Amino acid sequence: MSATVQPLAIASGALIRAASLSWLALRQALWRIPMLLVITLVTFLILRGVPIDPVNMLMPPNASAQEIAELSHQLGLDRPVLVQYLMWLRGALSGDFGISIQTGQPVLPMVLQALPMTLQILFFGLLSGLAMGLGSGMLAFRARGSVLEPAIMSINGVMMAIPDYLWAIALIVTLGVGLQWLPFIGPIDPGLQVPNITGFLLLDCLLQGDLVAFGSALAHLFLPSLTLGLCIATPIARVLHSSLIEVYQEDYLQAARLRGLDENTLLVRHALRNAALPTISLIGVQASVVIGGTLLIETIFGLPGIGALMIRALGSFDLQTIQLLALTYAITVQLVNMLSDFTLRTLNPRLRIAP
Amino acid sequence: MNLSSLAFSPVAEQFLAEPEWLLEADGLSVVGGPAEAPSAVLSDLSFRLAAGRTLGLVGESGAGKSMIGRVLARQLPAGFRVGGGQLRFAGEDLLSLPAERHRQSLGSRIAFIPQEPMGALNPVLTIGRQLIEHLQRLGTPAAACRERAIELLEQVCLPRPATLLGHYPFELSGGMCQRVMIAMAFAGRPQLVVSDEATTALDVSSQAHIVRLLRELQEQYATAVLFVTHDMGLATHACDDVLVLYAGQIMESGPAKSLFRRTLHPYTRALREAIPALEGPLLPLRALAGQMPGVESFAQIKGCRFAGRCEQATQVCHDGVAPLESVGPQHQVRCWNLAAASERQAQPEATAHEPGRAMSAQQSLVAKGLSKTWPGRRQGFRRAPGVAALKPLDLSIAPGEFIGIVGESGSGKSTLARLIMGLERQSTGVISLNGEMLGDSRDDWTRRIASIQMIFQDATAALNPRWRIGRLLTQSMLSQPRLHSERQARAAELAADVGLAASTLKRYPSQLSGGQRQRVNIGRSLCDTPQILVADEIVSGLDVSVQAQVMNLLLELRRQHKISLLLISHDLGVVRYLCSRVLVLHQGELVEQGETERVLAHPQHPYTRALIAAVPSLDPDAQWPPAAFPQMDVTP
Repeated sequence: MSATVQPLAIASGALIRAASLSWLALRQALWRIPMLLVITLVTFLILRGVPIDPVNMLMPPNASAQEIAELSHQLGLDRPVLVQYLMWLRGALSGDFGISIQTGQPVLPMVLQALPMTLQILFFGLLSGLAMGLGSGMLAFRARGSVLEPAIMSINGVMMAIPDYLWAIALIVTLGVGLQWLPFIGPIDPGLQVPNITGFLLLDCLLQGDLVAFGSALAHLFLPSLTLGLCIATPIARVLHSSLIEVYQEDYLQAARLRGLDENTLLVRHALRNAALPTISLIGVQASVVIGGTLLIETIFGLPGIGALMIRALGSFDLQTIQLLALTYAITVQLVNMLSDFTLRTLNPRLRIAP
Repeated sequence: MNLSSLAFSPVAEQFLAEPEWLLEADGLSVVGGPAEAPSAVLSDLSFRLAAGRTLGLVGESGAGKSMIGRVLARQLPAGFRVGGGQLRFAGEDLLSLPAERHRQSLGSRIAFIPQEPMGALNPVLTIGRQLIEHLQRLGTPAAACRERAIELLEQVCLPRPATLLGHYPFELSGGMCQRVMIAMAFAGRPQLVVSDEATTALDVSSQAHIVRLLRELQEQYATAVLFVTHDMGLATHACDDVLVLYAGQIMESGPAKSLFRRTLHPYTRALREAIPALEGPLLPLRALAGQMPGVESFAQIKGCRFAGRCEQATQVCHDGVAPLESVGPQHQVRCWNLAAASERQAQPEATAHEPGRAMSAQQSLVAKGLSKTWPGRRQGFRRAPGVAALKPLDLSIAPGEFIGIVGESGSGKSTLARLIMGLERQSTGVISLNGEMLGDSRDDWTRRIASIQMIFQDATAALNPRWRIGRLLTQSMLSQPRLHSERQARAAELAADVGLAASTLKRYPSQLSGGQRQRVNIGRSLCDTPQILVADEIVSGLDVSVQAQVMNLLLELRRQHKISLLLISHDLGVVRYLCSRVLVLHQGELVEQGETERVLAHPQHPYTRALIAAVPSLDPDAQWPPAAFPQMDVTP
C-alpha cells in the first residue's frame, strides 16, 4: 500500500466510526421520547388520583356549588382523566403547559426562569463531586498498602452515611455561621442587581462585566454545590478505588509495567480510563438521586431554582406546575443518562458496535 | 563465515567454550512462606544463556518456570522473595540494580511476550496508541513514531499496518494480537526476550507462525530468548537448550535435541511418555500417578522432590537431594538412580492401544443437515447477511464410539457441541436420539439431558465454588425425588468411578487440584448414566501427566458403561489417542472425516495437512516449524 493511501484509509475509517457513533446516539435519544410520554402519563394519573380538589383551593370558602362546577368545567376538570391527559398533551406539544393555579401565570416561563439556577448547582455539584471523588479514590489507591488507604476509605464510609440535607446543615453551621467564610442564603448579595439576560446568574454577571457580582454569585453557589458534590463524591471514590484494584489485576497492566512504564503513567494512561467505566455508569444510575437532591438543597439555601418551585407547588397543589416540573426533572435525568452513556461509549470502544 | 557451521568443528568449540554470557544465574533461589520456615519455589538454579540463543524452561504448572521471568521483572507474587544466589545480566548484577535503572531496562533491554495476547493489550486504547507510547518511551522522536510503528507491524507480517494502528485489540484475532506484542517486544532491539507460554493460547498454525517469527527476529538482532513452555514438542524445536524443572528444581538440562533424543531423568521420561504421539505405533500412555507437591510442602521434602511419584525411587531418594551430574556434552541430570533409569529405557512397550471404537452397529444419535447461522449485524434498516458458524453436516454416534472434532478457533467445533447438547438451536437440520426425533418440547429436553451430558472446558468455572464435591457430583439428582442416602451412595459410587478418594466428597472445589476438579466435572456428567458425553477441550488446560490420567479414565469409563464421547479438541494427539473417528472443521465447514489413523496418516484436504504439519513433533529430528505453510492467522 502506498504512503498516500494510508492516511486516507484512516481518515475514512474515523469518519465511518464517528458516523456510526452519532447514529447510535440519535437512536438512543429517540428511544427516550416514549419513556418521557409514559412518565408524563404516570404523573398525571397520580396527581389526579390524589383526593384533593384543586378547585376548592382556588375558590373562596363561601363559593357556591354552581361556581365550583363552572370553574371545574372551565379548567376541564370535569372530563374523564384520560381526556384531560390528552388535552394536556396537546397543549404541551404546542408549548402550552397550562396556567399555574397559584399565580394565574403560564407555568412554562415560571419553570424556565427557575431552571438555570438548578442547572448551575447541578453543574458545579457534578464538577466538584467528580473532582473530589476521583481525587480521593485515586489517592486512596495510590496510597495502597500504607495507613492512608484504610483511613481514606473509613472516612469515605462515614461520609457515605450522611444524607445531603445533613451536609447542608453541617456546612452552614461550620463554614457559614461558625467561620463566616461563605454566604449561605440566596443566590447573590441582596444589595447587588444583575439584569436577567441568559437566566444563568454567573453568565449574566460576566456579560455585564460585573466582577463583584460574579464573585458574590460564585460564593453563594459554593456551599450548595459542595453539598451536592459531597454526596456524589463518596460513592465515586469507593467505586473508583475498587475498580482500580480490579484493573490492576489485568494482564494489560502487567504487560505495560513490563514495558518499563512508571507507576504514574500506568495509573493515568492505562488504568484510569478502564477503571472510570464502572464509575461513569454509577453516575448515570445515580442521576435521579443527584437531581432529586437539588430539591432539598435549594430549599435549605434559599435558592430560587426548580426545587424551591416544586416545594411551593406541592404545598398549594399547583397541579400544572407539578406536572411540568416532573417532566423537567425527567428530562434532566434523561439528559444526564445520555451524557454518561455517550461518555461511556467514547471511553470504551467495545460499546460502539451497534447490536 | 557461518557460525553454525563452525560449531561442529572441535577447534571452534574451543573458541566458543567461553562465550560472553548474557544471562547468568548462579545458585538462584526464590523462597516463600514464613521467615522461620521458608520453602524454596526455586532452589539452587544455575544456568547460562548466550546472546542469540534460546533457553527453554519446561515443566508442569507449579514447577516454577514462570518464576524466573518474574525475578527478572521484579514481579514476584506477594510473599515471595529472592532467597539467595546471583543473577547477572550483561555483566550487571540484576538483583542489586537500583529500582529506577531496573525499570529503565524493562522494555528496552529485557522485553516480555505474555501468555494471553488479547488480555495483554489495553482494551480501550488503539494498537497505534499503545505502540507509539512504547516507542516514545524508548526514545523515538515523536515525528518518527508513526512511521516506525508501521515498520514494526510490517516486520511481524501484519497486513495493512497503517489501518491496523487505528484498530482496537478486540477487533483483532489472538494470533494478530500476539504479533503486535512481539512487534512491541522487539521494538527496542532488546538483548533478552522472555516468552512466557506465548503460544499456549493460540491455534497450532498460529503457534507455528509465531515461533518462526520469533526465530527470525531473534536471528536478526542476536537476541537471547528465555522460552517458557509446558509443551515438550514445542520445546524440542523452538529451543537450543532446555531446563526441565520439577517443583522448583532443575531435574535435567542440556541441548534440546540431544536431551530429548536421550531423556534420562525419570520425570522427563514420564512427561514424554504421557504425551500422546501423532505418529508411530499407538501405545497405552503411562500416566504419572499423583501430582506435584504444593509449594507449602516443599520445606518438608528432604530428598528428591520427584521421589513421591517416581517408580524407581529408593530410600536414598527420600533422604537427600541428588547433585546435578554431567552425563554428556552439557547434558546434566539430577538423579540418584541413573543406572536404573538408563536400563528401563531399553524395555519396549508391550500391548498396542485401542481408541474408542463403536461397540454396536446401531447409532444412538443421528444428526442430519445440522447447521447454525448467526443473524448479521444491523446496518441502519437493513441486516448484513448472516454469518454461517456451521455449514450443514451429518453426524452419527454409536454406543461406545469416541469421535473427535478438530479445527482452529472459529471453525465451528464448539457450535457443533452446543447444537448437539441443545444449548443452541440449529438453523437447519434434525437430531434424532435413539431413533426418535428431538424437538423443542419439555419432554424432549428431559430425554435429551438424560442421554447427553456436557463436560465443560474450564472445570474451575463449571463447579459452584460454594458446594461440596458430594453435592456437585449428584447435582442432577436435585430435581428428582430421591432420598438423601441415595444421593450419598451415588456420590460415593461416582467418586470411585472417576478415581477420587472418598474423603474428597466433603471438600470444596477450591481444595482440589486442577486434575481432580476435571474428574469431578466428568463424574458429575455421569450421574444419570448418560449414553453420550459432549466434551469441549476438557484436557487442554491440564498438565500432560494429568491429561494422560484423565484420558485413561475416559477410556475406562467407556469399557464400563459403553458411553460414547464427542470430543472437541485442538490437540490432534489427544484425538488420536481417544477417538476412532475424526471430523475436521474449517471455517464452519466439514472438510474431512474418517478413521482417525487414516486421516492423520493420509490427510486428503490441504487444511488437514496444514493442521497436522503445524503440530510440533516429539521427534527431535523432524523439521519444525514447517518451511512452506499457508498464512492463516492474520486474516481478521
